[in-house]
Amino acid sequence: MPSDDLRAQTLDHQSHPDLEGVPHTGEAVRSDGHLVEPQAEDFEHAKAAPKDPHWYKRAVFYEVLVRSFHDSDCNGTGDLTGLTQKLDYLQWLGIDCLWLPPFYASPLRDGGYDISDYRAVLPEFGSVEDFVVLLDEAHKRGIRVITDLVMNHTSDQHPWFQESRRDPDGPYGDYYVWSDKDTGYADARIIFVDTEASNWTYDPVRGQFYWHRFFSHQPDLNYENPAVGDAMIDVLRFWLDLGIDGFRLDAVPYLFEQEGTNCENLPRTHEFLKRCRKVVDDEYPDRVLLAEANQWPADVVEYFGDPATGGDEAHMAFHFPLMPRIFMAVRRESRFPISEILAQTPPIPSGCQWGIFLRNHDELTLEMVTDEERDYMYSEYVKDPRMRANIGIRRRLAPLLDNDRNQLELFTALLLSLPGSPVLYYGDEIGMGDNIWLGDRDSVRTPMQWTPDRNAGFSRCDPGRIYLPVIMDAVYGYQAVNVEAQFTSSQSLLNWTRRMIQVRREHLAFGLGDFAELGCSNPSVLAYLRKYTDDGNDLVICVNNMSRFPQPVELDLSEYEGGVPVELTGGVRFPPIGELPYLLTLPGHGFYWFNIELPTPDVTSDQYRC
Amino acid sequence: MTSTAADLIAGISDPLAAVLAEQRWFAGKDRPIRAVIPVRATDLAGSDPRLIHAVVEVDQGESPRDRYQLLLGVRSDLPEFLGHAWVAACGDQAVYQAVHDPELTAVLLESIAHGVEVAGLRFATEPGVALDTEQRSRPVGAEQSNTSLVYGQTYILKLFRKLAIGRSPDLELHRALAAVGCEHIAAPLGSIEGWLGAEPVTYGMLSEFLRSAVEGWAMATASVRDLLGESLLIERAPGPAKPNDPADAGGDFAAEAHRLGHAVAAVHADLATALGASRASPGYLDTLATGMQRRLDSVASQVPELAPHVDALRAAFNEVREIDSPVRLQRIHGDLHLGQVLRTVTRWVLIDFEGEPMVPLAERTAPASTLRDVAGMLRSFDYAAHHVPLGDTDPELHAAAALAWTTRNQDAFCDGYAQVAPDPRKDAALLRAFELDKAVYEVSYEHAHRPAWLPIPLAAIARLTH
Repeated sequence: MPSDDLRAQTLDHQSHPDLEGVPHTGEAVRSDGHLVEPQAEDFEHAKAAPKDPHWYKRAVFYEVLVRSFHDSDCNGTGDLTGLTQKLDYLQWLGIDCLWLPPFYASPLRDGGYDISDYRAVLPEFGSVEDFVVLLDEAHKRGIRVITDLVMNHTSDQHPWFQESRRDPDGPYGDYYVWSDKDTGYADARIIFVDTEASNWTYDPVRGQFYWHRFFSHQPDLNYENPAVGDAMIDVLRFWLDLGIDGFRLDAVPYLFEQEGTNCENLPRTHEFLKRCRKVVDDEYPDRVLLAEANQWPADVVEYFGDPATGGDEAHMAFHFPLMPRIFMAVRRESRFPISEILAQTPPIPSGCQWGIFLRNHDELTLEMVTDEERDYMYSEYVKDPRMRANIGIRRRLAPLLDNDRNQLELFTALLLSLPGSPVLYYGDEIGMGDNIWLGDRDSVRTPMQWTPDRNAGFSRCDPGRIYLPVIMDAVYGYQAVNVEAQFTSSQSLLNWTRRMIQVRREHLAFGLGDFAELGCSNPSVLAYLRKYTDDGNDLVICVNNMSRFPQPVELDLSEYEGGVPVELTGGVRFPPIGELPYLLTLPGHGFYWFNIELPTPDVTSDQYRC
Repeated sequence: MTSTAADLIAGISDPLAAVLAEQRWFAGKDRPIRAVIPVRATDLAGSDPRLIHAVVEVDQGESPRDRYQLLLGVRSDLPEFLGHAWVAACGDQAVYQAVHDPELTAVLLESIAHGVEVAGLRFATEPGVALDTEQRSRPVGAEQSNTSLVYGQTYILKLFRKLAIGRSPDLELHRALAAVGCEHIAAPLGSIEGWLGAEPVTYGMLSEFLRSAVEGWAMATASVRDLLGESLLIERAPGPAKPNDPADAGGDFAAEAHRLGHAVAAVHADLATALGASRASPGYLDTLATGMQRRLDSVASQVPELAPHVDALRAAFNEVREIDSPVRLQRIHGDLHLGQVLRTVTRWVLIDFEGEPMVPLAERTAPASTLRDVAGMLRSFDYAAHHVPLGDTDPELHAAAALAWTTRNQDAFCDGYAQVAPDPRKDAALLRAFELDKAVYEVSYEHAHRPAWLPIPLAAIARLTH
């Protein structure tokens, strides 16, 4: 832009003392009052990942917190460079895509989801340049990277908000939802009922109320103002130009408000998502949008957009209710909690995929979606004190399952074989523990355990300086549970998980196949067929025992009579399928994955008997 | 020269008698077969293989003789996979049970789909049903009184074996329930009916196959197994046996029992809507109590273990005579227990509305109190709780856990039922009498067949009359 448009003026409010000397929003102001923002051209761009239009449908995702993974500069906090240094490990594990929760500049009053500059990196994590290096190195290893983008609101420290409250008539005056009264949109529920009394908060600077669906320090952007939509699209372009592979769009249902509605899932919100998608499709092929809409699957499918086009909003969305039901099914020793939710999950457009997970950094709040009329299993879930504790208190997978290796394997096998792209949570591949004394949010965000050395090999800093103490208890402590030890043990959970990811990769049916539950008379056994036929035949049958006791099951596989089930981890050929029900026995919490080899028509069935 | 179907059956009556005696569905196993007499025989298809539909009378020296439906295949060359179905040689041809031959059972589905009528046999679809006849069949499991064929994963054809004169209550009630839009049944899709002399008879019923369904019995026993497993894991403290609270057990069944109660009440309501309900006549309760006491007397005379309970039982049945609140009568399921309900992915479904198989048709189709069905289910919970064998590790603990499980799930069932209809526990005297009557029947059954199980109904009688 022409430099004479700029007034060399420092803002009178210093929203970013930490960003001194780093390119950031509001370093200067143009003569028309617009803030100068960093541009993608100011930075190097990462080389793109290999072309692959449907990569996200087959990918294994890995959620990693930059702060928690690896500290490259010995200050006790993980950083982007530290993560880059561990990419070889992630490649070895077989990860296809990293999901990084927000690493933007932020006052960190909401775990970084309170963004104070969309175009700058939180200084303790590094810089935009460090991020480009991470992208470049990840792409070299065939790993993609997506991150969270909070479009609904900003931090109240964002220069946009500071300008908006200071100058109602300036270019940012209409960026947020301001009102003289605090009575508008009365039908919108308050999401954080524990901390917020109203969705309106009074701002003494501007002398008006501003609208916020989440915390009062997170004012909602005003999408009624076309400039806001344009500015957000420019934020998308900034990161996409640098080479990022996509975004998880946080809190999407709330972008627009409309009097007389609950202000969720409004048609104009969908219109805006379509606009974002069009930018991605036209300018950045191969990149994905993942919607975070904490709703029932039947409502979430709206965020995939028009099925006739294969989907024209988000490419992916999280399937929230599946996770608690996996826990419920194993606790009840019954497949029905899982069967029910999958039966209630509508088909999705051809270009779309679910994201599924067992654990993540910040889970479903059960109360947000309870609807007894619709789903009795859910209400049952809420009633069971142990189930509630599983969800309410944020815990890691291994402690939730009493560190039972059989259950850890069963849960992971379900995650890797149910329909959707699995999202692993960092550390769960080695069975890391949690530290409940750190409180709700931090208990599952402790440093990754790399070695039995000081600070678990996470950082070489003074142990007192580390952002959270490493886990040190007798069962899950870093001396017992760490990558180095498990790497060298062929029987470790780490090597087992890696092997299962490899097996998953060998069969397109897992990522691209249809899902059909196979009925059986044993309520404790969940069996399903994953079938991909577009490009050759890939048939995978998964049989899972939800019970701690051994179980028999008879499956009607007569459709595949003459076919031979081949167990996928060991390659053992099982007896061929005949006309009668196929009998299997499973150990407690056991599972099988089979590929069905179909007989070729011109060969007699005798040749399949060994 | 091909013999007629009737001649063919007549010619193999001796081997047929031998095969009949081995069939699970043959009801006269306790008496020798004197003769197998063809009543009717109809060619349904082809020459090789040939399909014959037959009804035979079995002479066991009693009158009237029992009648059975047979489906026989005839082939000049019997393939190996049908070897086990062989019945007899007839000239150079093999006669075999056709239900095992998918090529022949396909004829049944096609005949239903096309509404074939042959020699008084009427195959028909239910109104508005179109069938996919490409589905291949296989016989399912071992059933007590019928033979069922599953076509693909889509349809199930139940072939009645021992034929009752008159239309089958199973078909009748399924049709009535479907007509009022009942959600808790498998949709009826077709039928095979006909006449024997002047009486209508039902040969088969085709319905929707619930492929992902599980029997309530399997669900319930999985839950009991979990509770016992949990209780036995923990070292027993001295003193009275104290199992884990079933409400805290991982496999708690109460939510399912609650939903099941809701479903049963909904089916009762739909039956009343479809076929009416009325107030019992003044003499009803007396007749009912008399019938229960007659059964008691008969069982007590054979089972000495029942003696200590006879007075209490008689008193409980007498209480029925004193009930002064009105009793409603309507069509009911008639033989309801956990083996007659299926859990599908979305709902509970009731199956097999045939009523108790050994009871005469007129009695099975007579209006009755819905509490009889409720009592049947309550007894079934008690059986499920005792059915999981875990050896004799700790019988006292086992008994305590079973009782806790039974009580919790019986209550949950009644709670669920009470969401749709009046709470069955409000008619305590009548409900208890039905439960006790059922338990007395169980005593007689266990005494004859499974003496080791006798303590289950006896303990229930002691509890209920305490």
